[in-house]
Amino acid sequence: MIQITDLEKFYRTEEVQTIALNKLSFNVKEGEFVAIMGPSGCGKSTLLNILGLLDDPDAGSFKFNGEEVAGYNERKRSDLRKHNVGFVFQSFNLIDELTVFENVELPLIYTGVKPAERKKRVEEVLEKMQIMHRRNHFPQQLSGGQQQRVAVARAVVNNPKLILADEPTGNLDSTNGNEVMDLLIELNEAGTTIIMVTHSEHDAKYSHRIIRMLDGQKVTENVLV
Amino acid sequence: MIRNYFKIAWRNIRKQKVFSLINIIGLTIGLSVSFIIGLMVYYDYNFDKFHKDGDQIYRVVSDFHSPEGTFYNSGVTVALEDAIKDNSNFEIVSGFYIERPASVQNKEKNIKLKWPKHVIFTDPDYFDLFQYNFLAGNRATALSNPNNVILTTKRATDYFPDLLPNEIIGKTLVYNDSLNITVTAIVEPFKEQTDFVFEEFISGPTLLKTRLRGNFLDKNWNSTDSNSQLFVKVNKQVNFQKIQEKFNALANEHLDEYSRNHGQSKEFKLQPLNDIHFNKNYGIYDWEQGQASKPLLRNLALVALFLLLLGCINFINLNTAQATRRAKEIGIRKTLGSSRKQLIGQFLGETFLLVLFSAILSLILSKWLLTLFSDFISEDIDFQLFSNPIIIISILVLIITITILSGFYPALVLSKFNTITVLKSNIAVGERKNSLRKFLTVFQFTIAQVFIIGTLLVGKQINFLLNKDMGFKTDAVVSVYSPRGERQLDKKKQYLQKLQSIPQIKQLSLGGAPPASLSSNTTTTTYKTKEREIQSDLQFIFGDIDYPELFELELLAGRAHRNDTIKEIVINEAARKVYGFKTPEEAIGKSIDFGDYTVPIVGVMTDFHQRSLKSEIRPMALRGDWDRDVFSRFQAIHIAFQNANPDDLQSTLSKIESAYGEVYTDIEDYRVNFMDETVEKFYKREQKVSKLLNWATGLSILISCLGLLGLVIYTTNRRVKEIGVRKVLGASLLQINTLLCKEFLILVGIAFMVAVPIAWYGIHNWLQDFAYRTNISFWIFLISGCLMMLFALLVIGIKTFQAANANPVNSLRTE
Repeated sequence: MIQITDLEKFYRTEEVQTIALNKLSFNVKEGEFVAIMGPSGCGKSTLLNILGLLDDPDAGSFKFNGEEVAGYNERKRSDLRKHNVGFVFQSFNLIDELTVFENVELPLIYTGVKPAERKKRVEEVLEKMQIMHRRNHFPQQLSGGQQQRVAVARAVVNNPKLILADEPTGNLDSTNGNEVMDLLIELNEAGTTIIMVTHSEHDAKYSHRIIRMLDGQKVTENVLV
Repeated sequence: MIRNYFKIAWRNIRKQKVFSLINIIGLTIGLSVSFIIGLMVYYDYNFDKFHKDGDQIYRVVSDFHSPEGTFYNSGVTVALEDAIKDNSNFEIVSGFYIERPASVQNKEKNIKLKWPKHVIFTDPDYFDLFQYNFLAGNRATALSNPNNVILTTKRATDYFPDLLPNEIIGKTLVYNDSLNITVTAIVEPFKEQTDFVFEEFISGPTLLKTRLRGNFLDKNWNSTDSNSQLFVKVNKQVNFQKIQEKFNALANEHLDEYSRNHGQSKEFKLQPLNDIHFNKNYGIYDWEQGQASKPLLRNLALVALFLLLLGCINFINLNTAQATRRAKEIGIRKTLGSSRKQLIGQFLGETFLLVLFSAILSLILSKWLLTLFSDFISEDIDFQLFSNPIIIISILVLIITITILSGFYPALVLSKFNTITVLKSNIAVGERKNSLRKFLTVFQFTIAQVFIIGTLLVGKQINFLLNKDMGFKTDAVVSVYSPRGERQLDKKKQYLQKLQSIPQIKQLSLGGAPPASLSSNTTTTTYKTKEREIQSDLQFIFGDIDYPELFELELLAGRAHRNDTIKEIVINEAARKVYGFKTPEEAIGKSIDFGDYTVPIVGVMTDFHQRSLKSEIRPMALRGDWDRDVFSRFQAIHIAFQNANPDDLQSTLSKIESAYGEVYTDIEDYRVNFMDETVEKFYKREQKVSKLLNWATGLSILISCLGLLGLVIYTTNRRVKEIGVRKVLGASLLQINTLLCKEFLILVGIAFMVAVPIAWYGIHNWLQDFAYRTNISFWIFLISGCLMMLFALLVIGIKTFQAANANPVNSLRTE
């Protein structure tokens, strides 16, 4: 599903150039659950941004479903992203002004799904995430675990092929964290590819494969299953 | 999706109450003012637009050129109509004569109207030129015979309150107590905006039965009366050059010898129908309506534009300043697939909602504003105009324009945020680049500052005008006018005698207008010596021998005229200089040629202002009433009081009025003018400008300061932690306040520097209208600068003081 070869990304300021990704290569197959680990500043988030089509690499190849997407313009990236990728962030990133229902509905609006269908799908996913009773609440009225459930609901409502999770349990206590991980496993078992960036060895163990990074490069790769 | 935009927009507006309020107040003020001024522009620009073939209709006017300049007259010589009637360029040539009868009476019902307005003598062609709706009577024959009249329904109701149009036909009205005229038709007055305000149309030949008979039989090419109006409808294939050539040939052919020798000439011109409403040179028919002024409308539109811009600037500044707050939302939306275009759409939608809300408030406010600015606004402009489709469309266009103007830039900035950066740090890239915001704040305060300087200087000039010595007595003097058309001198003298018995009256004088008035009477005179001939226009004031003393006109040499009817004049210094006399004494005894006769100069008086201080002092002479057998110039009794105590004044005035009633019986004609009020009237327009400027200044300060308040609130909120840290480290209240105020006060200071030359230039130009001007004093600029600083400091201070006073523990803990 994902093939990256010699991927490079630099950050430049007036005086220094920092290498965030240094000739990084690996593949992810459809249905896989991959955890990416490494110390802060090793390039995990940069990688996730590129995989999520939020950012462009400076060099190298990035094939998504066999299609070369490195160098795509913003419009094309946005199009591909909204149909194929769901995001789960450490800080949930829900829109404070929208209710739970409206937050989850948002990706469907952008993909042009009709209102009746939207309602059905949002309700389905809220049921599944066991958060239906909170549908009319605003994010500030929910606990961290509940907020992350909403975020996961929002990530999957469009049935994306790929979910990118950036420290999904980083802001949660262990009980809530485990619940979120169970949700991700469930989704993965249903066929969704998941790439998760994490610092937690515990969470990483849920995945099929752990890629460890340092200074923008892959150092090890452990297959768990 | 649109619903989603509006929903989030509405929640944002509610969540950010203070900022939304600031935005709404600013936009509402700008929009309300724009609506009102828009109505005024629409109203004035739609005068006489409804006439069929209106673009082919012209008024023929006369321009008189002389070495002194060009003089304009909306009328033409009576002789011109016949001379152009057969010209093939014209489809219709129709003249009319405006004449105000002393009275019109319906004897059957004993209803009498005195001096009814808007009466014209005209021919049937008038109704081919202007399409009136005939409710009764025959259009073709209604004015075919002498002694026929067409009435509008409005006037018909005055004379025949109980009758229907059909029942009025054939009824008789008596004009000036002697002339019987039959009503032959009733028409509807024009419903649309029009300067054709006439209510009674008497058949042209009837003129021969009035006092004007002579003027119409003797078609004198050298007499032009502004009441004699001529209209033409030109052909579609008109050749304007040919018409002008014909006009020039006629004017030249009939130019008299005197004019030719003195470099004077006359020119007939075609004035388009749509120019009548605006062209002050020729005027309109109802002076009470006040003529529209394009420069005034343009200036008003500028005021509206500036106020709108101020509102938009607040919007742009507050929205870009708050960008960080929205950054996260933008990042998420982008991540979830929103395109930049969609985000721009969303932000414009929010702006639209806010502008729409302001527009609705403005509509409500407009109703109140229409009464507040009734000095500027015609009574006919009312709230109903807002239901006019053109106005509705214009308002919608305005709302969309304001939405784009205010919303597009913030939308562009917000939608440009880098998704990764804002999601990671919640700080928007470009947030620190606030140079545009600074520029806009400077722009805002420049406008406010220009308005403040303008207001202070216009006020100073008006004060200067009202308080400048006119050169004669203006306080505690009133003038009581005789009834219009009163010819009997006995009655005036009888009234004078009655007034003499009132002890509170210090002095009385019978005369024409007071030394300064809006009316004038000018004759071309010549002073001839053996060597040279000096020609000059000489303006007259008419008065008896007490006139100079009552008005405290100072004699420099000679004496006043000996009695009312002797042919003697007292000239002013300006006339003395024009005639070339070196000293006042030299002028005494010299004779001035009036054309038919010569008159000796018996005295020279000091100069005084005959009109407003906008004009220079002109050559003038005081004279008696020597042609009173033909036409008496003494139409007023001037009264000086012993003292100007208000209580005394009231009782004296009522005595003056009751004496009038004893002499003239008809108290309705009683007209009294206070001299100081007459002087004030000269500056009515300036006082209106001043009132408008006061409002514009107040509103611009309000909008700008609200904008500033918004920015200060935002900045201080953002710097709460910094303030906390500084306080913990020992910063004083003053130090923190200075820190927070500094950046804004610098902007206000820059605005002051920019505003000074702009305001100076504008006021300097405005003052050129006046012959006598106040100084553009340095202290005015200083005061206005200080005022602006004070306003800004107050606004900034409210918030910074609060922020500086807050307990740092709280701010540091929340961080």
